[in-house]
Amino acid sequence: MVQKYTSMAYAKADDMLFGNAKFPVKAGLGLEIGAGYATPELNYAPRPQAGKSKDKLVKEYERITTDAMARMVQIGAPSVVLETEHVEQMSNNPDWGAAVAHAQKTIMEEYHDEYGIKCALRHTIGDIREDRDYLQLRGDKYNTFMEAFEQCAQNGADLLSVESMGGKEVFDYSILRNDTAGILFGIGVLGSMDMEMVWSDIAAIAKKNGVVAAGDTDCAQANTAMFIAGGLLDKNLAHTIAIVARAISAARSLCAYEAGATGPGKDCGYENTIIKSISGVPIAQEGKTSTCAHSDLMGNLTMQCCDLWSNESVEYHGEFGGTTVQCWVESLAYDCSMMNTSLKLGKAKDLRDILALSDKYRDPQGYVLAYDNAYRVGEAIAKDGSDNYLRAKNAAVECCNIVEEGIASGKLRLTRFETNALAKVKADLEALTDDSNKFMSDCLTRFKEEVAVFRPENYGL
Amino acid sequence: MLDLKLEDIDGILVRYNVALEKEMTPDEAAEELYPKDELIYPIAKSIYEGEEDDVVDGLKAAIAAGKNPIDLINDALMVGMGVVSQLYDDGIIFLPNVMMSADAMLNGIEFCKTQTTEVPEPKGKVVCHVAEGDVHDIGKNIVAALLRAAGYDVVDLGRDVPVDEVIETVVKEKPMLLTGTALMTTTMYAFKEINDKLLEKGIKMPFACGGGAVNQDFVSQYDLGVYGEEASDAVKIADFINANGTEIEKLREEFHKH
Repeated sequence: MVQKYTSMAYAKADDMLFGNAKFPVKAGLGLEIGAGYATPELNYAPRPQAGKSKDKLVKEYERITTDAMARMVQIGAPSVVLETEHVEQMSNNPDWGAAVAHAQKTIMEEYHDEYGIKCALRHTIGDIREDRDYLQLRGDKYNTFMEAFEQCAQNGADLLSVESMGGKEVFDYSILRNDTAGILFGIGVLGSMDMEMVWSDIAAIAKKNGVVAAGDTDCAQANTAMFIAGGLLDKNLAHTIAIVARAISAARSLCAYEAGATGPGKDCGYENTIIKSISGVPIAQEGKTSTCAHSDLMGNLTMQCCDLWSNESVEYHGEFGGTTVQCWVESLAYDCSMMNTSLKLGKAKDLRDILALSDKYRDPQGYVLAYDNAYRVGEAIAKDGSDNYLRAKNAAVECCNIVEEGIASGKLRLTRFETNALAKVKADLEALTDDSNKFMSDCLTRFKEEVAVFRPENYGL
Repeated sequence: MLDLKLEDIDGILVRYNVALEKEMTPDEAAEELYPKDELIYPIAKSIYEGEEDDVVDGLKAAIAAGKNPIDLINDALMVGMGVVSQLYDDGIIFLPNVMMSADAMLNGIEFCKTQTTEVPEPKGKVVCHVAEGDVHDIGKNIVAALLRAAGYDVVDLGRDVPVDEVIETVVKEKPMLLTGTALMTTTMYAFKEINDKLLEKGIKMPFACGGGAVNQDFVSQYDLGVYGEEASDAVKIADFINANGTEIEKLREEFHKH
């Protein structure tokens, strides 16, 4: 049962804060996420050669888990979440993922029993629903995909997530051609339709197994845009277009919670502050502590309303200070300690604002995602919450309005290239119909012709 | 919410891109670079603007005026794309402009081919693929488009390509360059297997690798590896090979920046 959000969880933006969600989530071994404290969430990737066999992979994750848990108790961290993002072997062979989850959870239970450290294990299943040439969202691989969730849930995973790929084929084509309608169709319409299907099924599996259907991220699309946009001097994509894609992605990633997920949303979902404003679910975020994986332009800002604070991903290997997982989980834990101290001292809103303001005017992406503006995007989505297309379009339009206001204030300074790109996106959006059926029909006709790998049957169309 | 005063922001961050933005607009910069020939100019301009129909219209007019269709590929389409590439390299236009221009140029080449029995001579052949187990192909698609736009014949094997299929294709096509992209650490290990199997067959050729989790340290671990940090490096590597040969060490000296 998909129940769309048509109102905001918070009465005003100022009510949103890190370590606190309107609807906290209990998970794993004594952990409650969003219940008044922030928790580090460590993410990692095995070394390249570890994927050669199931045994090698399980041993690699045992080393990772032991290293991380040991470092947490060595520095006195009260809580931690470990996130295992499946390598393809673990989702294509659900028993591999299950074996890894079991091995990790066994170690975490030992640490919990001995030290009392609160902890939970998130498994993020790989979206394996494709073959060489096409997405195969509803094809043969769907059963294996769901089996991977089921087996992980049965074998120790406390939080289930995925970075689902619906709409990516149209998005990939469109983002490289500044095609606003295609970006909106790929993320806001196709992505949302696929998420409603996938998350209804994940939520049912989670319920059956007594674990948490956590949440998704538009990594496949909005993060692709952010990654291509790159730094201030990169010339691959206007950052004003990247943030419009991000605003649309909030309408899309929200679908997980409408289909039964309860949070915490995935770390790389930079759209999560918007989603938290509408849904009140706890969220994971990443920023300055994910520089091991990629650069962004809002390293502090993203901490503003997080409940889990993540490093995105780091390859497991040695560093001067220990293994990478030890170094990065320690950094995460100290950031959480800072946030939790500010909460105890009654200074959390000041810290939140300092974090947000340190990046707010750096780039249009951070500007729109600053919690005050993110809340406005949330309102635009909730206004037409029952219509996937309209709410995604609303988010994009409101995003353009917010950036324009920032430019007018003199505080958000953009190049002519970026302001021109913004003007084009806004004009494109204004020219689009408000009729969802017409938009769907127009896009189907167009993208069936233009995008060779687009298969409408992936979306039941 | 607390806020910063306008005058305080510069002490916290600097928008170097705003400070350094060139005065000239992209259209003005392109205008300076177009060829002056009245038959070639509209074709080059249409390439820059990414207008496929206008490119074909320009080609029709040039052919009607006596220009050879195959010559137009090099003298008009490639020249127009050269303007686009230069503006991209100079940071004046962005990647989507290049992609749309590349689409228009490739459409133009196909049109030229229909107007003659002659076959255009490419600058070289490149085999592109995404590593086995990896389905993230937007980077490879950019690489393939940029190579084609630069005049290279691209054999695009797609994504999730088995190691043996890559080897078979290299044996069959004898490319000047092989490219591989990967997003994930566990899939990029396939690059090393490809390297080893090529060497077993006595094939010593540059294997340009890049993508999300791929880094210079990893690529340097196998003999044929050349690291490409940006998608546009693929064209530069191919051009470098045409000018300087296939010696891996030389390529690494040029492209390994870290």
